[in-house]
Amino acid sequence: MRDSLGLMGTKRGCAQGACGSCTVLLDGEPVVSCLVPAITVDGSSVQTVEGLADGNDLNDLQQAFLDGFATQCGFCTPGMLMSAQALLTRNPDPTRDDVIEAISGNVCRCTGYEPIVRAILDAAERRRRSS
Amino acid sequence: MINDVHVPQSAEAAVQLLQSGGVLLAGGTSLMPRLNDHASPPTELVSLRRAGLSGIHRTGSTVTLGAATSLSALQNDERVRCLAEVVRTIASPPVRSLATVGGNLFVPQPHGDLAVALLALDAELDLLDPDGASTQRLEAFLTEPVRSDQLVVRVRFTDPPPSSFRFLKAGRRRLNSASVATVAARIELDGPQVVAARVALGGLAPGVVRARHVEAALLGHPLDETTLARAGQDGLADITPRDDAFASAWYRSRVFPVHLRRALLGR
Repeated sequence: MRDSLGLMGTKRGCAQGACGSCTVLLDGEPVVSCLVPAITVDGSSVQTVEGLADGNDLNDLQQAFLDGFATQCGFCTPGMLMSAQALLTRNPDPTRDDVIEAISGNVCRCTGYEPIVRAILDAAERRRRSS
Repeated sequence: MINDVHVPQSAEAAVQLLQSGGVLLAGGTSLMPRLNDHASPPTELVSLRRAGLSGIHRTGSTVTLGAATSLSALQNDERVRCLAEVVRTIASPPVRSLATVGGNLFVPQPHGDLAVALLALDAELDLLDPDGASTQRLEAFLTEPVRSDQLVVRVRFTDPPPSSFRFLKAGRRRLNSASVATVAARIELDGPQVVAARVALGGLAPGVVRARHVEAALLGHPLDETTLARAGQDGLADITPRDDAFASAWYRSRVFPVHLRRALLGR
């Protein structure tokens, strides 16, 4: 994705499936893409973080991260966003525990997680209000 | 290093490729981390993604899981509630979407908690190898060496009544942690007395083990603190804990009786 397609949003972190920075949606499900040989998903839908925004317009989840200071160095952010996107698609009204479980495979060494959890809950509320 | 990746369209085609030296790739959550290390030998992978081995079926109380069914699919299936709580303790959502039921049987301890639950449920496996199809109990399968040309096709078990299945996994964190001690059990009571017990343990030995000393200590006795205290001590004969990055063997031995009691009594 990074070298051949130039989609640099998805990060290469541990390459062990442990850090979550490479999380993308495969047929709508969050997966750590470092563990998936590309040829095995021929014909599937793969959504990277680049697929969230509409041109220069951030989606509500990205906007909530920005507004809530939920990014610092930004390395974990694409993976966090994709795990959160999967959660909110499946569960529009998540509890705090649901959010914590959804991002339990995404490591962040900057924020202490709290702003990220709040941003995801904020995005869920924005979606519910707008629907 | 990956040399080639095959994506066969059937279990039979997968077995043929395994016979000619391919290495089985199910969810990849255990294998791919090793291959991403560039020091690994050249490897030809046989992916099960398109081999038609996914799916969950229920007939009466008999549940059949395709070996390539993902753990997230299992977690979200309303027909298999007893395993949803088990899967929730395993890894994280982006790993569960890849990890498979069959793959979990081969994951080295202290991972592989689904295998612990399936052993407690006395699961049976449908297997396929170059000689044809066969069926084997999971308990026997786990004691034999892994064959590189054999495929687990399906896992089958009887869904237990909700009150008879117990599961507890203790890790270093509440979520996404390897096992320090995992206990799964199917317990049948007649009044207060235990009349049938099948107990399996994870994180406490080089492989998943059945806790026969624990079972013997439970049978014919009331399921209470006194019985569990004895079962916890007798059960030390069932475990051979190891030091690893998550806990020491000493610690695991000390906390095993506590987690056994919590699993079976809920306190």
